[in-house]
Amino acid sequence: MAQTIADIWWMMLAGAMGITALVLGLVAAAMLRRPAPEDGEGGAALWLWGLGLGFPVVTLAALTVYGLLMGERLLPRNAANLVTVEAEARQWVWSFGYADAPGLVTKDVLHIPAGRPVDVRISSRDVVHSFWVPRLAGKLDAVPGHVNVLRIEAGAPGTYAGQSAEFSGTGYREHTFTVEAHGPAAWSAFLQGAP
Amino acid sequence: MSQTGRHRTALSLHKALARIWAPEPGWRGWLTTSNNNDIGRLFLCVATAFFVIGGLLAMLIRAQLATPGSAFMGPEAYNQVFTMHGTVMMFLFAIPFFEAMSMLLLPGMLGTRDLAFPRLGAYGLWVYIFGGTAVIIAMLMGLAPDGGWFMYPPLTSAGFSPGLGADVWLLGITSIEVSAIATAVEVVVTVLRYRAAGMSLSRMPIFAWYILVVSVMILTAFPPMILGSLLLEVERALDWPFFQVENGGDPLLWQHLFWLFGHPEVYIIFLPAAGMIATILQVMARTTLLGYGWVVAAAVSLAVLSFGLWVHHMFTTGIPHLGLAFFSAASTLVAVPTSVMIFSWIGTLWKGRVRMEPPMLWLVGFYATFVIGGLTGVMLAIVPFNWQVHDTHFVVAHLHYVLIGGYVFPMIAAVYFFQPLLTGRSSFFRLGGVAFWLVVPAFHITFLAVHVAGLLGQRRRTWTYDEGQGWEVLNLVASIASFVMAIGFALVILDIAVNTFAGLRGRRNQWGATTLEWAAANPSPNYGFASIPIVQGRYPLLKDPDLALRIAKGEGYLAETSRNRRETLIVATATGAPSQVVVLPGNSILPFLLAVVTSASFLAPLFKAYWLSAIALLGVVIIALIWVWRLAPAKIEGLVDAGHGAMLPLASETADPPGWWGSLFLLLADGVHFGSLLFGYAFLWTVAPNWPPPSYLRPEVWTVGLALGGATALALGPRLIGRWIDRMVAPGLLVASLGTLALTAAAASVMIARPTPAGHAYDATLWLLAGHTAFHAGITLIMLAYVVLRRIAGHSLRIGEVRIVTLWADFTAATGLVALGAAWLPGALG
Amino acid sequence: MSNVLRLALPFTVWIIGFCGVYALQGLSCSRHWLPGLDARTMLIAAGALFVLVQAAITGAFLLRPTSSDFVQRAATVIATAALAAAVWTSLPVLTLTVCT
Repeated sequence: MAQTIADIWWMMLAGAMGITALVLGLVAAAMLRRPAPEDGEGGAALWLWGLGLGFPVVTLAALTVYGLLMGERLLPRNAANLVTVEAEARQWVWSFGYADAPGLVTKDVLHIPAGRPVDVRISSRDVVHSFWVPRLAGKLDAVPGHVNVLRIEAGAPGTYAGQSAEFSGTGYREHTFTVEAHGPAAWSAFLQGAP
Repeated sequence: MSQTGRHRTALSLHKALARIWAPEPGWRGWLTTSNNNDIGRLFLCVATAFFVIGGLLAMLIRAQLATPGSAFMGPEAYNQVFTMHGTVMMFLFAIPFFEAMSMLLLPGMLGTRDLAFPRLGAYGLWVYIFGGTAVIIAMLMGLAPDGGWFMYPPLTSAGFSPGLGADVWLLGITSIEVSAIATAVEVVVTVLRYRAAGMSLSRMPIFAWYILVVSVMILTAFPPMILGSLLLEVERALDWPFFQVENGGDPLLWQHLFWLFGHPEVYIIFLPAAGMIATILQVMARTTLLGYGWVVAAAVSLAVLSFGLWVHHMFTTGIPHLGLAFFSAASTLVAVPTSVMIFSWIGTLWKGRVRMEPPMLWLVGFYATFVIGGLTGVMLAIVPFNWQVHDTHFVVAHLHYVLIGGYVFPMIAAVYFFQPLLTGRSSFFRLGGVAFWLVVPAFHITFLAVHVAGLLGQRRRTWTYDEGQGWEVLNLVASIASFVMAIGFALVILDIAVNTFAGLRGRRNQWGATTLEWAAANPSPNYGFASIPIVQGRYPLLKDPDLALRIAKGEGYLAETSRNRRETLIVATATGAPSQVVVLPGNSILPFLLAVVTSASFLAPLFKAYWLSAIALLGVVIIALIWVWRLAPAKIEGLVDAGHGAMLPLASETADPPGWWGSLFLLLADGVHFGSLLFGYAFLWTVAPNWPPPSYLRPEVWTVGLALGGATALALGPRLIGRWIDRMVAPGLLVASLGTLALTAAAASVMIARPTPAGHAYDATLWLLAGHTAFHAGITLIMLAYVVLRRIAGHSLRIGEVRIVTLWADFTAATGLVALGAAWLPGALG
Repeated sequence: MSNVLRLALPFTVWIIGFCGVYALQGLSCSRHWLPGLDARTMLIAAGALFVLVQAAITGAFLLRPTSSDFVQRAATVIATAALAAAVWTSLPVLTLTVCT
């Protein structure tokens, strides 16, 4: 998930650097140019139709379509092996619940199985917060009265840092959590209440 | 005529006009003046002062973030500082600064003598000064808002922000928005109606197009924000649960209303700067703008497109992907008209021969910065990328690239460019060059580092950070460079201040510009032009360098001073043909007094002094009535001599006086406000949890009858007066007054039937719909009372006045019917 | 004023249509959506209507030119741009998931 977004970034960075160089190069050339009076008003079509209109339309259309198709791939669709967890935020604690182990609640540590798609059902008890584990996915807000579903998937067992990403008052900075991704055995052990 | 004879004509004309347009002597003059030169200068100085304050706050932020685990500020102080930095820069600096520049320059560019409603401009200035000062004083007392400049509830609701800070924000900012709307109405009417003879739409200077578009944007973008502030303040004060989930509210409603304002706001700030760029570039390149029509079309397109982007600030709120896709598509689309402008300007440089004067230098700074800001903006429009970087320092860096690169740099260019016109002096001390080489490179170092910190995961609005996350060097570099940048900005201000008082006396039109403002003397006198110019092209000074002299000699329109009052010309909107003569008001203390009572009514609720607020509101009504009363001339004059053989009617005696145009555009803003209220209602009904409410209000036959009858009478009464003026005045007034009363009664029936607005967001919304109806019926009733009083005092009624009352009565009737219909609809459906 | 309105009309209609399609999408995912109506079909119909209205405006501008040459050219460019904007911002209804 996060890898898809990283790919988009590197592609956009390269494009942006190219466009910046082009535009600034044209500005420099235009400023250094000393046209003779008889040159007249030539080139209007190129500047306005070509560079002003045609150039952004082509590049932006391609980029937008690409971005939207990538976005579709990140949506929480039906999947085999899907695991569902609950993430409830309040000032300044995260509580996590597990569909596969009713009654089990962990504070500030979310346990998930590695290598399986996980839907995080995000909600808030007080103000607006946001659930963000940078290495696993983009962020999604915890809005009072709403439940938002975020699809994440950890490629390998390990610990992933997470943080709230919507300003929520004085404790906002410390409003962080971790995600523990387990292998199959450790995951079943966790669900059965093993430490 | 001999050379000295000509000179004497110009000089005596100058003396007569200078006397007529002079402010009162002494300090009192500053309080009573309404001339655009005076008001504009005050506006500019105050806005600059707020820029300095906002800049100092920025330095506090960078000082705090320079090192990890900084003990300089705790989170309580830091939250106030970043909230105030954003608020001050967006509301107290950026918007007022370009308003000030337009006030100063627009009459000159358009070839007229002042703006359409000088006293409204003065009122806007004072409301801004009082509101802004109150916000700053609150900050110094430690009572600043601390919820971020976009103030998301429930964090800013009474439960989580019990202190005064959020109220300071809501009431202070609303009063500043009132000021912005006043100025916008003034600018729209000026551009559409107050121009040189022969200045058709296609001959308007490009800046006039930009500022026309921006002013209409202010009138349509600010009302959702004003509504949002109203809802949140009412929720905080009276517990009406618009944003409380458990009682049928929804915090997302605030986000929609805020960004419905907040995204157009970005373009409201950028487009005036773009107008300045287009204006200055062509002169710096000794040519004319490439693709004028394209740029106009791009500005219009960009303005409306910017209203279709608001959800891109809400990509992470859980809105379905298809919904996001609409806004992602619109957000990339907005780059197209921007690109048309950018390349039109490069093409202008290409066809001209560029000279590297200080204004041009800052425009290079604009290009080097804004292009990057625009491209990171396109990146943020891509949904998956946005999910990752939203609310990180990447966004902070992006918005500073756009706002500083796209607004501050061009505005500095504009100040250097127009300095001869504003101060009569040109740069002598060249500190500006040094300042440029401090500001621009330091800016890029600062915010490139901030970009990277954001990509590495540093969240915005965190008061400090831990060691070992790889952010230490980036933040230290950003902080050091930001201090260099601050020194650079201080040098810019110093440079301009020094040159204002000690620069070289400039000669007229030192840049060889081709638009009318440069035909005025340096600095521009209060009356602007000795006679209203006659123009035959888009660049009047290009083919006719002697135009300035002929204007000064009184060879245009309205060179006559014997009527001894401030007169200027009104032209036909499309063709620019002279059509009316308008008399502008003289010096008066009323705008200042009205601003005092308006601000008091806004600020009194801070101290829970609601009685003071009510008294102040009464003061607003009384002073407004005196204001209008004194402006209305006592007798009918008929046609007046405007020069060149033209006998024109006085504006006050026509069917469409400036007041009618002003009302039209004020009602546009009012209509958008009402539309936002309906949107909020529909939004809560479809999206908010805990709907439907326990029960719906069911309409009764008699209440519906009252509403329909009242609206009909309101629409009919003023028309009776207008159709048979002087015969049907009394019956018309009676019918219309009964209409306002019936409509108010229908509105009251809604409130009486649902007596607990604090119970559910549905009831609270009904109260607002009914309140909107009753409020406007009240305004119409006051206007009708004014007409009655004028009749009693023996003044004759003018068709223009009747048409203004008709406009307000129609608006009241139409929105009243829709409001009450919306209130009754769910109950009627069952 | 009619000249100014001609410049303002195409994109005013665009913002209304754009918000209309978005509102329809919001409604189709809310509890008030009428059972039996396929949300995507409705959205595609709305998008098509939106584009048709913009095309009609562009056509009307071309068929009934105004007296001012400048306004005529600028208004035609703006109307064409608004038509393109309507097409572009309505395209997502064709393929993307409606309510997730």
